[in-house]
Amino acid sequence: MPADMFALTLPFDPSALTLEMLMAGLAMLVLILGIIVPKGARHGLGWVSLLGILGIMAVAVSLWGEKRELLNGMYLLDNYALFWKITFMTAAALVILGCMRFVDNMGNQAEYYSLTLFATLGMMVMASAGDFITFYLGLELMTLSFVILVCFRKTDAKSVEAGIKYLLLAGMSSAVLLYGLTLIYGLTGSITILEIGRIIAMQPLSPALVLAVVLVIAGLGFKVSAVPFHMWSPDVYEGAPTPVTAYLAVGSKAASFAIILRLFVSGLPGIWENWAMVMAILAAVTIIVGNLVAIPQTNIKRMLAYSSIAQAGYILVGLVTATEAGIKGVMFYCFLYVFATMAAFVVATYYYNVSGSDELRDYAGLAQRSPLLAAVMLVALLSMAGIPPLAGFAGKFYLFSSIVGDFLWLVFVGLIMSMVSVYYYLRVALVMYRDDPVDATPISVSSPVAVTLVFATIATLVIGICPGPLSEVVNGAAHTFFLH
Amino acid sequence: MSDWAGVFIFFVVALIFGAGGIATSFLIQPRRDTPLKLEPYECGMPTQGSTWIQFKTGYFLYALLFVIFDVETIYLYAWAVKFQSLGLFAFIEMIIFVFILIVGLWYAWKEGALEWQ
Amino acid sequence: MDFPVLLTILLAPLVASLVIMFIPKEENILIKSIAAAGMFVSLALSLYAYFAYNQDIGGLQFVFGHEMPWIKDLGVTFFLAVDGISLPMLLLTNLIGFSAIFASWNINNRPKEFFILLLMLIAGVMGTFIAHDLFIFLLFYEVVVIPIYILVIIWGSSKRVTKEYAGMKLTMYLLIGSGFLLVGVIALFIKTTAIAGHPDMSFTGMAMAAQQLGRFDQIWLFALMLFGFGSLISMWPFHSWSPDGYAGAPTAVSMIHAGVLKKIGGYGLIKIAVYMLPLGASFFAPYMAVLGVIGVAYAAMGAMAQKDLKYVVGYSSVSHMGYVILAVACMNVIGINGAVANMFAHGVMAALFFSMIGFIYEKTHTRWIPDMGGLARQTPRLAVGFMLAALASLGLPGLVSFIPEFTIFVASFEVYGGVAVIGIAGIIITALYVLRAGANTLFGPPRPEYDHLEDIKGPEMVPLVVLGTVLVVGGCLPSLLFDMINSGVVPLHAAISDALQLGGKF
Repeated sequence: MPADMFALTLPFDPSALTLEMLMAGLAMLVLILGIIVPKGARHGLGWVSLLGILGIMAVAVSLWGEKRELLNGMYLLDNYALFWKITFMTAAALVILGCMRFVDNMGNQAEYYSLTLFATLGMMVMASAGDFITFYLGLELMTLSFVILVCFRKTDAKSVEAGIKYLLLAGMSSAVLLYGLTLIYGLTGSITILEIGRIIAMQPLSPALVLAVVLVIAGLGFKVSAVPFHMWSPDVYEGAPTPVTAYLAVGSKAASFAIILRLFVSGLPGIWENWAMVMAILAAVTIIVGNLVAIPQTNIKRMLAYSSIAQAGYILVGLVTATEAGIKGVMFYCFLYVFATMAAFVVATYYYNVSGSDELRDYAGLAQRSPLLAAVMLVALLSMAGIPPLAGFAGKFYLFSSIVGDFLWLVFVGLIMSMVSVYYYLRVALVMYRDDPVDATPISVSSPVAVTLVFATIATLVIGICPGPLSEVVNGAAHTFFLH
Repeated sequence: MSDWAGVFIFFVVALIFGAGGIATSFLIQPRRDTPLKLEPYECGMPTQGSTWIQFKTGYFLYALLFVIFDVETIYLYAWAVKFQSLGLFAFIEMIIFVFILIVGLWYAWKEGALEWQ
Repeated sequence: MDFPVLLTILLAPLVASLVIMFIPKEENILIKSIAAAGMFVSLALSLYAYFAYNQDIGGLQFVFGHEMPWIKDLGVTFFLAVDGISLPMLLLTNLIGFSAIFASWNINNRPKEFFILLLMLIAGVMGTFIAHDLFIFLLFYEVVVIPIYILVIIWGSSKRVTKEYAGMKLTMYLLIGSGFLLVGVIALFIKTTAIAGHPDMSFTGMAMAAQQLGRFDQIWLFALMLFGFGSLISMWPFHSWSPDGYAGAPTAVSMIHAGVLKKIGGYGLIKIAVYMLPLGASFFAPYMAVLGVIGVAYAAMGAMAQKDLKYVVGYSSVSHMGYVILAVACMNVIGINGAVANMFAHGVMAALFFSMIGFIYEKTHTRWIPDMGGLARQTPRLAVGFMLAALASLGLPGLVSFIPEFTIFVASFEVYGGVAVIGIAGIIITALYVLRAGANTLFGPPRPEYDHLEDIKGPEMVPLVVLGTVLVVGGCLPSLLFDMINSGVVPLHAAISDALQLGGKF
């Protein structure tokens, strides 16, 4: 028997997985607590999850600047990945803090919170993924968690329908994506993204590669709900419980953008000319359709769904050039998008708890019943529209300045449509501010929700008025991207 | 190119092989239709009552739990064979792995998945 | 560091609105007093700045924050400064803002929200005039849109068009215009960064680089800016929001919008578009002149046909802005002097006009000219204000708008000759419709149903006193205004003509 049988020899350095291990542990802990703790006391699980996330976020911040690689580039921990992880965790923290009451009303808190955490874990894996297997693992973990979350209100037919729709369409898009990935593997003989980048740069372009890229774009286009792969999102967004919708709109989209950037900018830069135009057209169509279809919506969640489609279009703009400026634009915009979307959805969630409706006309007189809710909603929507001094303006400025040189037409489309989007955002303002409420009792906002809303609003304002610090952080993160 | 030609030929042969069998039997078969033969499925008993019945979800839960531990075994065998050379790290990893599954089982138990109602 | 005058001017209304936020909404008078106090601080300081500005030195003064990097990678600094062009505009904003608070003294429907939004609007407008950085300028420029929309939909009036329609039309026109402007600015930013080698968004820094751009680049960039600023200044054919918007808006918003907000378009045209892209400007100048003249004539005719007081003034403001565009198109010192001065003069006059119409509407509940008559007998003070504004509108010598219009005529006749004559003829139509509106509203036999009307008094007098004083003083001492403007226009024009000569060589 060899003497060192029980010596702790590690085939790799697991410290690069610290955040993921912590997150998995937290999710399990919440699940276990849910089994142990009596039903009446499960309200505290939200706080446990929240504090856990904040703790992991602190660890993530302390890791800033680290650069580690696992198993020949299978797993990458760099500033880029860390930035995204912090983004996801911010979104998760906001959605948990803002929607506790809603979750308590739904019941099954332990499952809800642990699934939310598992979805976050999936996103975090995606942000670090250096090869197709890791990427797919993260993607499926995230998607399956969301499938369950979407149909969380088991007795609500709409919620279940949304869940089934999401499951089927997500499965289909995964299949398409996998087909594209296998084609790339077949052509390059590698699944490591950096390796693929090197091989493709040396190969002549083959039609199969173009097909592969198209399939990958289609598969991931589904996840970010880019037109024409967006058909699922309004129904799913409307049917899902509102906090889930919020997290789905922010988290799953941001995670997909994280991997799209990694895949296209470090994996496929050699054939940039071939996919840049596809991305540009995709972005333009997404922006136009998302904004125009949002106009006639009467349900606030559907409107936000279409508006989030349009937002995905803006973010796609940053991908078109695949330069550092573009990547920076994407990251910057995703980060601020978290706050605006979370604020809007938390208001929707809270108001649903009070009024039991998501219809726009039931928001009448919200400004008089609760100035805070109305003001937060307005700020969030205007930030999405890109009205200064809110964060969205700075974000759009960065995104569009990256493509002015070659894609001026796209700048026109984006900016004009974002002004058009003000039309339907202001309709919400109209209903909230002009009309008198049917039931004029003031709405008292509970303090966790108030904290969430105020925090998100202040973040939106601060990033908008003073984008410098965030922009420097993002610069640092986008820069590491090119160092591999 | 020659590699791809091989694949192509493979496809063609496979196609001929499959289609050929069906075509040959179609050509040479004796045709004596009986009502039973014209049934869409000719195996098993004629169905009794409605075919749209609901299965108890209990079956599904059992199957799911079974699959979890079924799959676990596959990993455990591989690990057990190389236990000597893998050392402590793999041992701890395997404990964590089993622990995660046990949490799942615990949860399922607590939620009443193992009780047949 | 000196006392940050400009920053204080900008922050005073914002601080006031912040204070109002924490006052219970029942404290009606207190809210209004705080709003007035905030604006008074701004007004007093901007008067101080106006008279303390050293015209002999000229250039940028009261500089604040130019060494304070705001967004490093975009080269943005929180650069506040004023010169001879922006100071009159700043003063105008404060005069009108201060009067607007008092013109809204009788608002009792949700006053708290009204004054918060109004103060934010005023601060936003001021910001555009004192910003010396393109990014900051844009920031303030779009900030003003949203308060206006909310002010219109809640406190507006639905007489001929619904207030929702008016508000949305106003907002969409301005935003689509600003969308084009934004494209232009982003493109300009990328191109100037490439030329200068480092990002710099301050007006001067950007202009240095932008003036070296090729002719083609300058032309299409100028076209985008012309579209953006043109729709803001209601240049024909992008003017149709203006009469509808003013008709739907509450008095204070009409005052600020017609009085100063529109002028951001003219100001931007001069200080950004023409200054940075002189080659583009000289290419478009003849077209601008034609559009300006069409605007003058078309809107004057339009005003003739109106029977709603607010529409008359709305069209008349489009017509007056036509002169401004014509004057900018002259691209010489006299023309630009006239343009800036006319913006100032029209601002004071339009604000007075709208505030008086607001009071008339408040008291009679109508703006329909045939329903009125003889109001001079029942409400003499109101009539004085109305006639003062009307006479200023037709350019009566002795009032502030005479010299600017005269200057514009001189400049445009020199440059464009025949085309200018049509524009000059517009003044006759103006006289016609303005005097007719005044006569039908104020004179003639008094109507018994208006006998009970109370004349304006107390706080309601403030707009009349403040704006009326400016109208008369500005008319009697035109040098107060013109010396100031001239000190800003001369260096600007020198920079343009240098760039043009340099560009001509290639």
